[in-house]
Amino acid sequence: MTGTTALSRARTVRYTTIVVALAAIVTVSAVRIVTGADRLTTPGTLRQALIAACPILLAGLGGLWAERAGIVNIGLEGQMLLGTWGAAFFAYHHGWLAGIVGAAVMGLIGGLVHAIATVSFGVDHIISGVALNIIGLGAVGFLAKSYFDELSGGGPRNLSGYPTPPTLTIPGISDGARSLADQHWFVVSDVSAAVAGATTNLSILTILTLALALLTAWALWRTSFGLRLRSCGENPQAAETLGVNVYLYKYVAVLVSGAFAGLGGAYLTMVSSSSFTVGQTNGRGYIGLASMIFGNWRPSGVLTGALMFGYADGISLLPKNGPLVHALLLLVAVFLLAYSVFKFRAGELTTAIVVAVIALGALVWYFTTTRVPSAFTGMTPYVITLFVISVASQRLRMPAADGKPYRRGSAG
Amino acid sequence: MRRLAATTVALATCGLVLSACGTAADDDKAADKVECKPTKIEGDPKVALAYDVGGRGDQSFNDSAYAGLEKAKGEFKVESTEGEANQDEDEAAREERLRGFAEDGYNTIVGVGFAYSESVNKVAPDYPNVAFAVVDGFDPDKTVNCNVAYLTFAENEGSYLVGAAAALTSKTGKIGFVGGVNNALIQKFEAGYEAGAKAADPDVEVTSTYIEQSDPKGFGDPAGGKSAAEGLYSDGADVVFHAAGGSGAGVFDAAVEAKKWAIGVDSDQFKTASAKQRTRILTSMLKRVDVATYDFIKSVVDGKPSSSYTTFALKDDGVGYSTSGNFLSKDTIAKINEYKDSIISGDTKVPEKP
Repeated sequence: MTGTTALSRARTVRYTTIVVALAAIVTVSAVRIVTGADRLTTPGTLRQALIAACPILLAGLGGLWAERAGIVNIGLEGQMLLGTWGAAFFAYHHGWLAGIVGAAVMGLIGGLVHAIATVSFGVDHIISGVALNIIGLGAVGFLAKSYFDELSGGGPRNLSGYPTPPTLTIPGISDGARSLADQHWFVVSDVSAAVAGATTNLSILTILTLALALLTAWALWRTSFGLRLRSCGENPQAAETLGVNVYLYKYVAVLVSGAFAGLGGAYLTMVSSSSFTVGQTNGRGYIGLASMIFGNWRPSGVLTGALMFGYADGISLLPKNGPLVHALLLLVAVFLLAYSVFKFRAGELTTAIVVAVIALGALVWYFTTTRVPSAFTGMTPYVITLFVISVASQRLRMPAADGKPYRRGSAG
Repeated sequence: MRRLAATTVALATCGLVLSACGTAADDDKAADKVECKPTKIEGDPKVALAYDVGGRGDQSFNDSAYAGLEKAKGEFKVESTEGEANQDEDEAAREERLRGFAEDGYNTIVGVGFAYSESVNKVAPDYPNVAFAVVDGFDPDKTVNCNVAYLTFAENEGSYLVGAAAALTSKTGKIGFVGGVNNALIQKFEAGYEAGAKAADPDVEVTSTYIEQSDPKGFGDPAGGKSAAEGLYSDGADVVFHAAGGSGAGVFDAAVEAKKWAIGVDSDQFKTASAKQRTRILTSMLKRVDVATYDFIKSVVDGKPSSSYTTFALKDDGVGYSTSGNFLSKDTIAKINEYKDSIISGDTKVPEKP
């Protein structure tokens, strides 16, 4: 393949992405108008979605770093938990900046344990990861009891009253976009709601999270360091014969992975709320892992996945969300139908039929009911996770040597 | 687990609303037949406090129980210990905790939270010389436990008062409620709050939301509390009352960001909240778990451990509201006190179900 064809192919991909994104926005807006569920895209809803998405995104990016170097990091949940404690402890004593750094360091320590086990000792990645999750929960419980019990605002499982990162509101844009969003116009209001949601009370940590997503994309795909790191995940033996220090790269990747997960924990204790409790992650590490798989081990995919799960997570807590989740049924049905047509044209008849049947099911559900029971709305994020993964997993490709043990010198 | 939760909720309703439930009324008669002798504890009272999800440091429900224990310790010099609950623990873990206390020689055991009702019911018969108490508790079966005290509250009455405060303070005519878990106990708060608000302003719009439908982790999820409250504020509510234990900290955060009012629960939360949150806590619905805990320990110290149901209502200051921060106007306070008198005299009946 010559340079020019690769370039033009990249352009086509980018073009397709933009078209798909635009089509998605138009669909969402159309569904909002048809169903009358204006809260699908109010600034408040989208802001919540962003806040719910960030910890998932950080966990997903963490997973991406590790798996691109061939290490499955199922211990993200445990590293996130360590991060929640680190953020609370260091922020309480030394301010919010120390809290962020402390969370990253605690996550990094979790990553180090995983790296020592999997890279140096060749322990099965899943076993080490599961162990780390259990250790993480236990360690955080112990650390909280040892260090927070006697503090004012603290308890054996809680801490509150520590500083949190400052927030920004971009004055002109925030208000302007908000008033546009209140008009409930087709497409225009939806887009401005997103702008308003993203420019009101925006935490520094949210900006840092999005910057880290960009940094990940750049470091892993635009630098020689990234190329070497990814080569360790695709074919470590080949990388070794070319003089890459595979162990070193794997270590770096898993440490970064842990630090990202730790930051995800910091986000939960400092932005999602301003208090710490033991076990605050509630499985978000796993959802992060799911968003990484959904995103096909690519940063843009992880971002899309995290935003989607964040949206589902965010609306599950909104008041009176029965009609909202009901409107979501129609949205899901439309997207699935579109996907089914796409699969049909690609010649994958079985997938097309299965997806179409699910879509019809959602449609029937939508038209035969007026609301979704509140007991169901709480499971929305998990149902969507399961759903999307099962549909999207058709054409995913993980790094070739992901999860496979590697010993130095095995290239022969 | 979920079915179990549903059953407990149903049973809780029976236990709390004696008149409304046939079987519970029968239980009551059965209870009259059994002559309970006061539990004889061995040796000096040694108190164990078993916390609910959220635990000590929740600045709310569990902390209130702890305050009662502290007071008792100060006065009676009793020995004590505490046990923390985990986020996702099952029935067996609670039983284990209670048995552990009993085996270690603690003869006065308080389960903080209705979740201990079932486990105390199982454990108590094995330790007849240990005095048990369950805050918010109920007897889940027909066998009377002579060594168990069920300490319940008229949460609906206290919530009625803060509901009136919310309606009288609201400028938008919209107020909100965030519950931790959608069960009969928390619905009592919601029902009272809504009734009080409607009494003060018939046109007020009350929106309620719950963090979890049945999972107790709704009491220890500040992020969930914050999201739920943010939703209410962005819908136009300018006062939000929470009955969500440790998740309430998130509700206060949302109030700070939205620059609107929040109402605390169980403890006087103005006193324990951070400086920023403090400016946003209009009042708190007081549920004197501390008084209940203290009274129970005192009854043990006095050699007559209380048993069966004890309800702490408005008339005996078991529930109420706080005025710390002086955010409530004089007129509002006067109005609330009128409602209070009317409830105490029995002229106003506060509903228990929304």
